[in-house]
Amino acid sequence: MSDDEQTLDERLAGLIGKPVGSRAVTVAPDPVNVPMIRHWAAAFEDHNPVYTDEAFAEASRFGGIVAPPLMLQTWTMATPMITGIAARGGSPVAMEGEAPLAVLDRAGYTATLATNSEFEIDRYLRPGDVVSASTAFETISEEKDTRMGKGRFVTWVTTYTDQDGEVVGRQRFRILKFNPSGAGS
Amino acid sequence: MTAADPRATRDAGTIAVGDALDPLIVDVDATRIVAGAIASRDFMPAHHDRGFANTQGAPDIFMNILSDTAYCSRFLTDWAGPEAMVTRLAIRLGVPVFPGHTLTYTGEVTGLRREGNDVAVEIAFRAAGDIGDHVTGTAEVRLPI
Repeated sequence: MSDDEQTLDERLAGLIGKPVGSRAVTVAPDPVNVPMIRHWAAAFEDHNPVYTDEAFAEASRFGGIVAPPLMLQTWTMATPMITGIAARGGSPVAMEGEAPLAVLDRAGYTATLATNSEFEIDRYLRPGDVVSASTAFETISEEKDTRMGKGRFVTWVTTYTDQDGEVVGRQRFRILKFNPSGAGS
Repeated sequence: MTAADPRATRDAGTIAVGDALDPLIVDVDATRIVAGAIASRDFMPAHHDRGFANTQGAPDIFMNILSDTAYCSRFLTDWAGPEAMVTRLAIRLGVPVFPGHTLTYTGEVTGLRREGNDVAVEIAFRAAGDIGDHVTGTAEVRLPI
């Protein structure tokens, strides 16, 4: 192992447990609300009545309207600055400082491929809930030979909490950062 | 269009390991991709701007991951019914899906166990597209006993 590689491994080890974005916690700009639920249900043609039919939802085990469980990630998505979004490579807002994973880009792993998204849902959200998300690096693998080329798998965990600080769900997300010039057969 | 009544919840006592879920077929076009991206608040231009997608090496706009998990959730609860709670969803991403493709979601029950007043139903599923598996995954939904 070269000194450079050792340095990279050490730097990557230092990222574990650290925030993925520029802020440690993201608070949803709006509470869980029926208009966004209705918009989501229409877009995916999900006619589950506990999302949009108040009378049905009240008589159900949920006792009232609930948000679709897989909307969890939506509540804390960044409110975009549309002007310049393409010039920023699609980033909804300007990055504050350097992204933590820039260290991988500099090491040649410039391309990104999302590989896994895993959710655990502890409770369904209701209108009025205010969701916060805190995201931290969980693991960064050693270099692997993949069909995309040499790369490292990066996993982070987002913990979603409500206005009382209770955990409502978790998301584990994995990407492959790889060197696009060294693709295998 | 599914034949099942969206207001009816499946009787947990009738579910057995090996049961197939009702397939879900999603005809993907640009409108569907854009509608899903914006409803999930994902404004990444690769999901609404073909020119931008081309600069990223993609032939067209492609479905975002939040839409993938949304359709998985719909596939699960269309089958299980409105009293079902999705408690776990784990997907592995395969090939992208572009306008003009058709996604077919299929799955089967792989396990059953008692959890308090619920039955936890474990499911393995896939969404097959025109050029291969778009998504494969596992999930758990809980149904009242």
